[in-house]
Amino acid sequence: MRFPARTQRPLAHNLVAGSLAPIIVATLSIAAAVWLTVGNTFAANKPGASKSRSVEVPTANGVAAKVDQLILSDLANAGVTPTGICNDEDYLRRASLDITGQLPSPRDVTLFALDPDSGKRTKLVERLLASPDFGKNWARYWRDVIYMSATEPRSRLSQADFEKWLAEQWNTSVGWNATATSVITAVGDVFENPETALIFAQSGVNEDVAAEACRIFLGIQMQCANCHDHPSDIWKREQFHELAAYFPRITLRRIMMPDEFKIEVLSANSDRGRGDQMRENPEQFVTMLDRNKDKKLSKEEMRQRPGVMMRGEAPGVPAQLIDRIFEQADGNKDDLITAAEIKAMPQPMQAGRGSTEHHMSDLQDPSSKGKLMQPKFFVDGATPGQNLSDLERRQAAAKSFTSSSNPWFARAIVNRVWCEMLGEGFYMPVDDLGPTRTARFPEALEVICQGFVANDYDPKWLIRTVANSQTYQRKVAAKSTSEDALPFASVTPTRLRADVVFDSLIEVLGIKEESLNGPARGGMMIAGGPRAAQRGPRFQFDSLFGIDPSMSKEDITGNVPQTLYLMNNSFLRSAVTASGNSRLGRLLRNNPDERDALGELYLLVLAREPSKHEVEICQAHLKEVGQRNEAFEDLMWSLFNSSEFLSKR
Amino acid sequence: MTTLSWHEDVQLSRRSFSRRGFLYGVSGLGLAGAFDFRDTMTLQAEELRKQGRSMILLYMQGAPSQLETFDPKPGTENGGPTEAIDTAVSDIRIAKGWEQTAKQMQDIAIIRSLTNKEGEHQRASYQLHTGYLPTGSVKHPSLGSNIAKELSLANHDLPSVVSIGEAGRGQGGSGSGAGFLGVDYEPFHVSNAGQMPENLSASVNGGRFQRRLGLLDKLEGEFASRGGASVVESHRKITDKSSKLVLTPLTKTFDLSGESTGLKERYGDSPFGRGCLLARRLVETGVTFVEVRHGNWDTHDDNFSRTAGLISPCDPAVATLIADLKDRGLLEKTLIVWVGEFGRTPRVNPRGGRDHWPRNFNALLAGGGIRGGQVIGETAKDGMGITKDPVSVPDLFSTICKSLHVDAAKENMSPIGRPLKIVDGGTPVEKLFG
Repeated sequence: MRFPARTQRPLAHNLVAGSLAPIIVATLSIAAAVWLTVGNTFAANKPGASKSRSVEVPTANGVAAKVDQLILSDLANAGVTPTGICNDEDYLRRASLDITGQLPSPRDVTLFALDPDSGKRTKLVERLLASPDFGKNWARYWRDVIYMSATEPRSRLSQADFEKWLAEQWNTSVGWNATATSVITAVGDVFENPETALIFAQSGVNEDVAAEACRIFLGIQMQCANCHDHPSDIWKREQFHELAAYFPRITLRRIMMPDEFKIEVLSANSDRGRGDQMRENPEQFVTMLDRNKDKKLSKEEMRQRPGVMMRGEAPGVPAQLIDRIFEQADGNKDDLITAAEIKAMPQPMQAGRGSTEHHMSDLQDPSSKGKLMQPKFFVDGATPGQNLSDLERRQAAAKSFTSSSNPWFARAIVNRVWCEMLGEGFYMPVDDLGPTRTARFPEALEVICQGFVANDYDPKWLIRTVANSQTYQRKVAAKSTSEDALPFASVTPTRLRADVVFDSLIEVLGIKEESLNGPARGGMMIAGGPRAAQRGPRFQFDSLFGIDPSMSKEDITGNVPQTLYLMNNSFLRSAVTASGNSRLGRLLRNNPDERDALGELYLLVLAREPSKHEVEICQAHLKEVGQRNEAFEDLMWSLFNSSEFLSKR
Repeated sequence: MTTLSWHEDVQLSRRSFSRRGFLYGVSGLGLAGAFDFRDTMTLQAEELRKQGRSMILLYMQGAPSQLETFDPKPGTENGGPTEAIDTAVSDIRIAKGWEQTAKQMQDIAIIRSLTNKEGEHQRASYQLHTGYLPTGSVKHPSLGSNIAKELSLANHDLPSVVSIGEAGRGQGGSGSGAGFLGVDYEPFHVSNAGQMPENLSASVNGGRFQRRLGLLDKLEGEFASRGGASVVESHRKITDKSSKLVLTPLTKTFDLSGESTGLKERYGDSPFGRGCLLARRLVETGVTFVEVRHGNWDTHDDNFSRTAGLISPCDPAVATLIADLKDRGLLEKTLIVWVGEFGRTPRVNPRGGRDHWPRNFNALLAGGGIRGGQVIGETAKDGMGITKDPVSVPDLFSTICKSLHVDAAKENMSPIGRPLKIVDGGTPVEKLFG
């Protein structure tokens, strides 16, 4: 069952899917009701504001039920039987890993199983959402979304600051629209203002910032239209460059200090701010700095320059930049430069680039300035006007991106969160939406999107909705290999993200994060200095196990180096010892009975009791080895090398 | 089966050598190995010579300028300051900086007329690795994985595909992964040639390691029966490959310390030089496909000095790799391909850089039955377009298949039941052979 290509109006697809009339009628009424509510209550984000609202605002449980109903009826129509609801052990592990990124402790597993409350799953979700680990877990997810496609390798230095900032946003229910606005309009020191992450990661290059903001916040891939009309979509080259025209005044400025390096995101609203003064008016430039009035500038005189010289550079021109200017300009090698020599310098950058406006390059004549572009939003054709300042442009962009009449903003995050939690999205790949792509279960997606908007884009509301749906609570099953098979009849067992595996490992082995040394990776372009401390064990583990979260889950299978790490890494090796005060050592001392120890070990590593068959296998192993400690070390090693430990179930 | 001696094993080998048996023999001895590394290598190399061919892809990440490599245009405006030099073949001239490579020109064929439409790094890189443009619905296998599937030795202890140098974005991000062919043909990444890959030595003695593997395998059953079957299956394959790698003495291949100082110096003391030397060792040991990456060639500004900096480690490594393989009698069965994802604009931009230019770019081929000392295709005087014998990406891929005796039209079934040819369309460049 497939839906035709969608248009940008949220409800329009319902009108053309004629053959599905009975379902559609039901959906329309739900959707229309939600839509009206949205229209009435949409307001600027206020954390927690939704709680004081009238009953019209869709609740997480209400939306979850509607989504279940829509998905079930489509599955039934397609003749697909969904799997049953998973047991408590599996739900506890799944929800804990998805919401907080942490394994439940053996105690949690036991208490949850014994709790007779029929609403315990909903209560669990609330408890997990209230944990600070919730924000941390999802901040790490978005950190990877942004930094995995960074073109500026040094941007990784701001990862930890970004993670902290975003965790706080999510933990305090700051609306996703407000968060996106902060990211799009960010300025200032990249470490003190970590919402500059996306801009820093893309080196402040306007075309790349535009393409990434569009991919991440709208799920639309425009970057192919940089050089030509999009080959497999409707986007025209002009539309991409109109989007890029929102961002041409972003400047990254690097401040070189002997013991630290700082980078700032700045607005450059005049050409002077971009350092073109030297080239535009060489005579004035020389006169201004020429202290000994010889109409020539020495290196010493240039060092006194109190302003910004060139794009990307700081007040107090760094020596290496002066050297570079001299290299290029000092034709007669007298260690002095004249206005005439400045004029003869080769142009520093593409003519359009130093400008405060965006020019679409002429592909036939790449050295020309190209066509001047004005900002225009491709979704609705909105135009904020001409000659706007950097922040006016970026505020206009943020407004268009996050507008409640732009359906892609909510769809992009809903699709991502759903995919992260269920193993597959409504749209796949997860960051390739847009009017020519086809969603599976589009009505269900729309119902969540509208509830999300009505709840002030609160990420907690979104996760709560997904976690409470029956669809999320189904047993895992392998994804059907047929292209047309509908997803969501079961949950797909997907591989856990690097940070989640890392946290699970250190929890299970009872080791401190600092003592777990990851594999050394050569060639990582990280500068030294004070921030080098951020290359902790987690960073190194992530560089081996890290996966781009925008990749399709089914392509993520692990690889040989990861497996070798888990099998042989020397720190893991010493942590698996059963002697002394290790986690396993204590477990064995506290549980002299073998069957008890086995149960505890399973609870610890896999957050469940072993099956009867597993107990038999383990007991046979204990018997064969004949040495308790050694046999349990083997067992623990086998359990954290198992596919179950690395996967969601 | 605990104490196989070296001689028994040689005899085994003469009658169809069983590597699994060999593995047990080694681990029974406690890993230290009664076999000298050289002996083991000789055994496997013997099989290799019987069986087949291999390929080394020298991948120039970021797209190198054709004008500063093998299609210089000295004395023209577009040519910039780049000069041309003579080579060992009288009528072939290449860019200055490639003096060592020039000396090997009798074994090298240059293609100056590669042409393509894709000018975006990720997409073009995917295409130059898989032969296909990326699509949402299919994860195409890289040509390397396809070739490994066709040619690799069954149960070889080393991975059949190895990639050397920093990997691109994420796992298989640029099309260098095995795609739907699965983990058997997934490349093994070595980020720093010359350093032993991490975590290769077993955490416990060989016997106990195998005991653990056996236990792990049994315990995987439960998750498989509870909906995780597909995950368990692919995890088993990776575990199998990893444990083989742990147990084999062939991991010494990754150790370059046994090579002579003279040879190491000829390759060059650079990541790319060491990568090329490791590539030779891997191919010699029976690995089917090795990619060595070098870059970044994305010279939008300051093209001439940046390109020179990239050429200086590249030239001796390429030249020595060809000469070294030839000295060892391996060149005839090893195809070397030097290529990037596209070329660069003939016109120099105001920043002294060259931008993206897929319309015409160049590649080198050597070995694998390729007749060296010739140039395929020709570009206009100003470098703006091809005047003779254009070669498309599928043509290049078909040529590679022909050299390696792989059937380019062979179809593999994608997971959704769609048959996909190893190469879609294209014809081999016949002039390159014979």
